[in-house]
Amino acid sequence: MVARSSLESLADAKGIAAQALAIQDRAATLARTDAEAWEEAAEALRAAADPEAVDEGRGGALERALDRAAAIPLELTEIAADVAALASLSGERCEPSLRPDAAAAAALAAGAASAAAHLVEVNLSMRPGDPRLERARATEQAAAECARRALAAIS
Amino acid sequence: MSALSTLTDAELVQRCRAGDPEAWNELVERFSRYVYAVCTRGFRLSESDADDVFQEVFARAYTHLGTLRDDSALRPWIAQLTRRLCIDAVSKSKREHPAAEPISDDLTHDLDEIEEAFAVREALATLPDACQDILDRFFAQDQSYRTISAELDLPSGTIASRIARCLGRLRSELEGNSSLDGRSRPAAESGE
Repeated sequence: MVARSSLESLADAKGIAAQALAIQDRAATLARTDAEAWEEAAEALRAAADPEAVDEGRGGALERALDRAAAIPLELTEIAADVAALASLSGERCEPSLRPDAAAAAALAAGAASAAAHLVEVNLSMRPGDPRLERARATEQAAAECARRALAAIS
Repeated sequence: MSALSTLTDAELVQRCRAGDPEAWNELVERFSRYVYAVCTRGFRLSESDADDVFQEVFARAYTHLGTLRDDSALRPWIAQLTRRLCIDAVSKSKREHPAAEPISDDLTHDLDEIEEAFAVREALATLPDACQDILDRFFAQDQSYRTISAELDLPSGTIASRIARCLGRLRSELEGNSSLDGRSRPAAESGE
């Protein structure tokens, strides 16, 4: 919205808007996949906790389900960080009157990155050395930095 | 990429007319995906009918290339030839199988999308490799800025700007090529 409203002043405004639309599509698809992965993980956890259930292959199914349940929030963390970066870039170059909107978008995206990174952490709690944990944290920090820059520009 | 792949359509037509077999191979290679997409995604032909139309399009193109008045209008000429043969195939199918699905109301929209996709693909091929690479990573492979930054060893804060600049170049290229729009009137004889 900020980019589309700044066609006069923002160089590459259309290119920025196109990226925002692409990220929007990607996020919507991943949000649905995330919900499915969560259901699968919850089901696998229930099965693992059921003493009556047949044991064969249960551990492997749980591990796969939790692995997927961590991989998708990691992708969401990165998408949210992309939104924060794009919002920060737009805020630097857009019409001054639109900077607060860009800063708000960056802050919301950083929040989303933080929430998704937390889910990665929870779903990898049984694998403390998994490199995805570090990647999620670094991405969360990058998103937070973008939000700080965007907010600083309007304060 | 062969040396002939950098030729313009007009140059390619001239080489074909001069009897260069490699040029003919390049012509088929250049338009085969387009023709097949119009047959299968535009007209929803069966695989068998699409194969028949595909063969017929290039057979007629070979036979009638001499009738093309404007060598640069190769693409719209092949587009028209393909559409006409697809309509013939659909009509034949309806005669043989009266319950066959009618041509979709969205046909024009579907064909426009195919034209647009191929125009973008052609314009993309004219951009510098770095631009092609970064646009492909972001839009086709769905890579994040972080992944692109790591894999191309570029500062992460510059990725969005680079993509935006490359999109700007792509747009300029597409606008410059708008005269080659496949929907424009082909300056050729009917070819039949």
